[in-house]
Amino acid sequence: MKRIFQHPTESLTGKKYWRSLGQLADTPEFRGWLEREFPQGAAEMEGGEVTRRNFLKLMGASTALAGLGLAACRRPEMHLVPFTKGVEWSIPGKPLFYTTARPTRRGYSPLVATTHDGRPTKIEGNPLHAVPKGSTDLFAQSSILDLYDPDRAKKITNAGKVTDEAAFEKALEGMLKDAGDGSGLAFLLEDDNSPTRQRLMGLIEKKYPKAMWAVYEPLGEETSDVAYGKDMEVLPQFEKADVILSLDCDFLGSEAEVGTTRAFSARRKVTGPDSKMNRLYVVENRYTITGGISDHRLRVPASQVGAFALALAAQVAEKMNDAALGAAVKAIDAGEVKGRGSVPRLDPDWIKYCVEDLVVSKGASLVLVGERQPAAVQALVAAINAALGNVGKTLLGRKNTDMPTVRIAELARSMTDKKVKTLFIVGGNPVYNAPADLDWANLQKSVPTVVRLGFSEDETSELATWNVPLAHYLEFWGDGRASDGSYVSVQPMILPLFGAWSELDLLAKIAGLEKPTGPELVQETFKQIAKPGDFYTAWAKFLHDGFLANSAVKPGALTFDSAASLTFVKERFSTPATGDDVYEVVFTPCSKMDDGRFNNNGWLQEIPDPITKLTWDNAAQISPATARKLGIKIENKDGEHYEMIEIQLEKGSVTLPAYIAPGHAEGSISIPLGYGRRVVGRVGAGTGFDVYPLRTTSSPYYVVGAKVRLTGDVYKLGLTQEHFALEGRGGDLTREGTVSEYKSKPDFAKTMGMDGHIPPNVSLYSHPTLNNPELSSHPSTTATGQRVNPGWDATGWGMTVDLNSCTGCSACMVACQAENNIPIVGKHQVMNGREMHWIRTDRYFASVDENDPDPEMISQPLMCQHCENAPCETVCPVNATVHNEEGLNVMVYNRCIGTRYCANNCPFKVRRFNFFDYNQRDVMAGKADKNGHFGVFSGVYEWNLISEKGTADTIKMQKNPNVTVRMRGVMEKCTLCVQRIQEAKIAAKVAARDSAEYRIPADSFTTACAQVCPTEAIVFGDIYNPESAVSKLRAAERGYRLLEYLNINTRVTYLARIRNPNPKMPGAEKIGAAMRSHHGEDKHEAEPKEPQA
Amino acid sequence: MANIFPRSSNILPIKLVIILFVVSNALTVGAWYYFTPKYTRVGYQPAQPIPFPHDVHVGQLGMDCRYCHSFVEVAAHSNIPTTQVCMNCHSQIQKDNPKLAPLRESWKTGQPMEWIQIHKTSDFVFFNHSAHVNRGVSCVSCHGKVNEMAVVYHAKPHSMDWCLDCHRDPAGALRPLNEITNLNWQPEQEDPKAFIAKYGKPPGSENRDFSSSKERLTQEDIGSTLRDKWHINPPDKNCAGCHR
Repeated sequence: MKRIFQHPTESLTGKKYWRSLGQLADTPEFRGWLEREFPQGAAEMEGGEVTRRNFLKLMGASTALAGLGLAACRRPEMHLVPFTKGVEWSIPGKPLFYTTARPTRRGYSPLVATTHDGRPTKIEGNPLHAVPKGSTDLFAQSSILDLYDPDRAKKITNAGKVTDEAAFEKALEGMLKDAGDGSGLAFLLEDDNSPTRQRLMGLIEKKYPKAMWAVYEPLGEETSDVAYGKDMEVLPQFEKADVILSLDCDFLGSEAEVGTTRAFSARRKVTGPDSKMNRLYVVENRYTITGGISDHRLRVPASQVGAFALALAAQVAEKMNDAALGAAVKAIDAGEVKGRGSVPRLDPDWIKYCVEDLVVSKGASLVLVGERQPAAVQALVAAINAALGNVGKTLLGRKNTDMPTVRIAELARSMTDKKVKTLFIVGGNPVYNAPADLDWANLQKSVPTVVRLGFSEDETSELATWNVPLAHYLEFWGDGRASDGSYVSVQPMILPLFGAWSELDLLAKIAGLEKPTGPELVQETFKQIAKPGDFYTAWAKFLHDGFLANSAVKPGALTFDSAASLTFVKERFSTPATGDDVYEVVFTPCSKMDDGRFNNNGWLQEIPDPITKLTWDNAAQISPATARKLGIKIENKDGEHYEMIEIQLEKGSVTLPAYIAPGHAEGSISIPLGYGRRVVGRVGAGTGFDVYPLRTTSSPYYVVGAKVRLTGDVYKLGLTQEHFALEGRGGDLTREGTVSEYKSKPDFAKTMGMDGHIPPNVSLYSHPTLNNPELSSHPSTTATGQRVNPGWDATGWGMTVDLNSCTGCSACMVACQAENNIPIVGKHQVMNGREMHWIRTDRYFASVDENDPDPEMISQPLMCQHCENAPCETVCPVNATVHNEEGLNVMVYNRCIGTRYCANNCPFKVRRFNFFDYNQRDVMAGKADKNGHFGVFSGVYEWNLISEKGTADTIKMQKNPNVTVRMRGVMEKCTLCVQRIQEAKIAAKVAARDSAEYRIPADSFTTACAQVCPTEAIVFGDIYNPESAVSKLRAAERGYRLLEYLNINTRVTYLARIRNPNPKMPGAEKIGAAMRSHHGEDKHEAEPKEPQA
Repeated sequence: MANIFPRSSNILPIKLVIILFVVSNALTVGAWYYFTPKYTRVGYQPAQPIPFPHDVHVGQLGMDCRYCHSFVEVAAHSNIPTTQVCMNCHSQIQKDNPKLAPLRESWKTGQPMEWIQIHKTSDFVFFNHSAHVNRGVSCVSCHGKVNEMAVVYHAKPHSMDWCLDCHRDPAGALRPLNEITNLNWQPEQEDPKAFIAKYGKPPGSENRDFSSSKERLTQEDIGSTLRDKWHINPPDKNCAGCHR
C-alpha cells in the first residue's frame, strides 16, 4: 500500500517555522517557488528577442554551418612549458601552503594561503595559531577574489594622467623636501596594528614631528578612556561567562572576530544532557546573527538601548547594593539631563528576571554593549559590569601601545584652516564614507597635493592628485598583531599584480628609507620584537608558523574608575525622544560589504545576507507593524517588487526600497552601509543605495527624527529567502528543543515532525554497502576472482551539522564557492532562482502568525544530503549522477546532458544547473540599462549567447585546478569536496607504496565548509572509522536525519538545536517550542489512507 | 481514376536513394574516424622544437626516466625537465650541436622551451602519475616503449575504456616497484623463487612447481600476487576517482 504522508500538524504552542511573510500569507509567488524546482519561466531565455524557438533555429543553423566548414576537425596544438630554472619548493601540479595574515580593524587574522604554481587560490585559517585554529570568516574567504579583481587600480596616475613609478618617486621627493618640520604633512590611514607600520610612523614622526596622523574607520568603535583608563582594550572572556547580556552588540556578526565566535560557541557546545551551556540575552533593534542564536531576545530601537541600560542599571544597583550607581541612575532619572526623551515601554518582567539571572551568576556574567553605541552608554554598561563583579573576571584588559592618532574630524578642521599642504590617504575611501557634515570631497579638493594609495579607482582617487595602486595583503611583506596580541607575519604569495605599492613601501619612502624589495623592513622589526639569538632559524620559524611563539599578550587586570565614569554618564547620558511619526534610522554594518570596501567582490555581493537573504542590494529594514503604519501592504511583499520609501532627515534624504524584517523593532529603520558606490568596478556598479550622506560626526550610528513616506515607486530585489522552499517540510527540517526537554528526553529530535508519525522503515533488501557486516573486516577475493573486497579501503564519507552551533554566518557558502569554482550569476539570475551556491543557509523564523512581533530565528546550512537511496540517481537517463562505494552521490559532468530530471526529483532542491556559460563569459558584460545596471541586470543582453567568450585572466587564476570548471547545460551540486577526498586517498596510497596499509588517518582532512566554520558546526569525516569525530557525532542523541520517513537514507546528520531559556522569563514556555507537538513522546502511525486513483 | 499519389512522388525513390547514400556514407566516415585508433591519437608524433631522442638517452645511455621526469613519484603531473636539467649535461656535451640551439637560446634568454604536448587527458579527467608509479604500474603501460622511440609518439589509445580495462583488472599491469622505470622488463625474466620468497605464491598456483627452471611466472601470476599483497584497489565503478 502506498503511504500518503500527512505533513506535520500544528505544534502544541501554535508556533510554526516560516521563511518569509509570503509563505505565511501563502502568496502565489511563494507557491511558485514551492511547487517547482525552478520557477516559472526559469528555463526560458530572457527578453523578447531570444526565445527558445529562435534559439533552436540559431543552434540548428550554426550546427549545419559547422558541418560545412569542418572547422572543428583539427585538434588544437597544446604546449608544455617547463621552467627554465627550477623554482625552489615548486613541484608542478602540487599546491604549496604558506602562512600569512589579513589586516582587519580588529587586528590581523592568521591565515594559510594555498598556492598552485605560484597562484594563491584559497585561504584557510592558520591551524597552528590559537585564535583561528584553522577557521576563518566570510571576508577572509572572499579576499582571494579581491586579489584577482580585474577592476583593481592598475596605474600610477598624476592629475588623471598615467605616469610611472619613477615620476612618482621624484614627485614624492619634491613634496618631502619642502616639508620642513612636517607641519604641512598629514596622513589619513586605516586602523591597523602592524608593528612595522608603527616603527615607520615613529621614524617619520622624528623626521617630521609636526605631521598629523589621523585614522578613520567608518565603522570604528566609540571609545572613551573614562571607564577603564587610557588606551585600555577591553577583552570579554566568553569562556568564563555563564550568562551574557548583549545590548546591541553583534559579537558573532559585524563585531565578530573568529576568536570571539570560537570562545562563545565553545560554551554552547552540547555533548550530552549534562553539558553546561551559557545563556544569552540579546537586546537589539534588528535581527542579527547574535540575536538569532540567543535564548531571549528583546526588540528595542537602537536609540533606546541607553534607556534600557539605565533601567537595567537601576535594578542591578538595587540588587547588588551599589549605592554610587544607584545614585547616578536616580540623578539621571530625575531629569538632570537635558534632551532626554521618554523611556519607551520596556517589559519590566524581562528586565527583572534578566537581572536576577545576571546577579545569580555575578562574577561569571557579562554585559556587552555595541561598540558603536554612545560613549555614555558604554560607560554605564561598564558600571553595570563593575557592580556585578565582572570586571577582572569575565572582563579583562590589555594596554594598547600603538602611536596615538587623531580622528578624522580633527584632520578636517586643520584642512579647513588650510594647514595641510600634502595629504597622504592610504586605503579607506573618505570621499564616499566620511561623515557627511565634514563635506570631505570639497575639503580634499582644497588640499594642494593629495597622494592616495588606493586598492581600486574610487570616489577618493577621483579627487586625488597622485594615485598609486595599493597592494593586496597577499602581495607584500608585512606583520601585525592578532587579536590575542601575538606577533604574526604577512607573507606575499605573488608579486604585486599591477605594480602596486604597499602602505609600508610608501611609509618607508617618506621615512627616507629605500622602498623595500623583500622582507628587510619586517626583519628589522622582528629583530627588535623577538630578539632572536639565531636570527635565520627564528625568522624561518616565524614564517613557517605564521606567528612568533609565546608572543600573545595575556589579558591583564582591568580597573574600573567608578567616580569618573558615573560623572561622565551623568553629564553625557541622553536618550533621544521618539514619537509616533518620528523614526530612528540605524546605519548598520553590512554583513557582506562591511563599510563598502568589498563592494566590487562578486562572491560577497551574491551571498545572501544571513538574516534578510538579500543579494546585490541593501534595503531599509522595517518591522511589519511599522510597514503597515506606513501603508506598505505586507502580504505580497516577497515577490519581486518592493515599495520605495523616502527617508528624510535634516541633512538630506535618501530613497530606497523597504524590506519588511520580522523581529525588527518598531519605529526603527535599519539600513546597511556600503552600497550605492558612485565610482566602483563592474560588479559593484548599480548595486544598492548610499546612505552615508545621512550620517554625521555627531550621529555615526543612529539618527532620530526621520520622516518617512512612500514614493509610489517599486524596486526589484534579489531575495533568496523563498528559493528552494520545500512543501510542508519546513517544520520538519529544523528541529530544536530546550535544555529541560533535552534532559528529560535526550533523543527528542528523533520523534519530531513526521518521524513521530510513522513506523520505522523496514527494507526487504539489504543495501550492498550499508548493510554489509564485513565492510570493515579484512579482504577476501570474490568468487570470480575479479573484484577485490571493498573492505581494503573501506571508507565512507559523512557529515554532521550541529544546529546548536551554527550561527548562519554563511562563511561556508563562500568557502565552498572558492574551493569548487562556483560562479556568480548576477542579480537578475538570482531573481530567477538560478544562484549556484552548492551549500545554502536557510533561515527560518518561528512564530504563531505574522502578527507575532517576536519570531524566533534558526539557521540551517543545507547541502546535498548524499542519500543512500538517492531519488536523483534513479531518474537520470544517462547515468550522470551515480552512487559510489564510499557513499557519495557523484556527479559526472561530462556525462550530463542537462535534462534536469535529477533536480526535479531532489527532495532538498540542492542541485544547481548551469543555465548559461557563467564561467566562460563575463558576468558583467553587456549594456547598462537606464538605471545604470550592467547587462546582467538588464535582461535582454545578459549572458548574450552571441557575445564574446572569455573572462579576465586574473579571474581564471583563482580557479582551483583540481575541480572541473563546469560549462553551460551541466548540473552540479555538493560533492563533499571529492577532490580533497581523492587527494587524501592518493596521498595515503603513495605513502603505502608496496604495503597494504593505506587507511586515511581519522580527521586528517576535511571539506571546505567544515574547515572554515568558526563554531565547528559542520564536521566531515570517515563514518566507518570509529575514531573519527563525525562517527562519534552521528551517534549523538540529538541527531536526526532529514526526511527520514522517505527512506532516502541521508549521509548528512543534523544535530538538533538546544535553547537555554530562563524559565522565569516572560514567554519562556514558547521558546524553542515550534516543533513541540503532541507526538513529542511516542511514535504512532498516521491513519493509513488509500491512495486516490 | 485520379492519381492516388501526386506527380511529385515519382522522384521519391531517387530521393530515398540519395538520402540513404548520404547517411550511410556519413556513418561510414564517422565510424572510420571515431572507432579507429586515429581518434585516440595513437601514432600522433608532432615535430618538437628539439627532436629529443629518447632512444639515445634511455636506450643507449641508460638514463632513468626519473632523472628528467623527477616529480613523477610525488605529483599528479609528470614534469617536463627544465632547461636547467638539460644544460646540466649539455653545457659540456654536444655543446655546439645545431639541433640544441633552441635549448641554448632558452638558457641564455630565460625564455622557457615550448614542447608540444602529445599525451593529453581531457580537462574533466584528473589523472595522477604518483598514484600509479608508486603502486606497481610502469610507465610503459601507458606510454609504450619510449626508450626505443627516436621521437616520442602516442603509443596507446588513452580512451576511458582503455583506462577501465586495467582499473577493472589491475593484475595485467602490476610489477615489482624496482622495475617501474625498466621499460624492457618482462615477467618471464623475474626469478620465480626470489619473487615467491618476497611476495608469496601466486593465487591459484598450488599445483605448479616453480623449482623447475621451465616454470616461469606470467604477468597474470605477478599481477594477481601483487594485487592481493598490496591491496591494489583502483576506482573502477567510482566515477569520482577520476572525474571531480
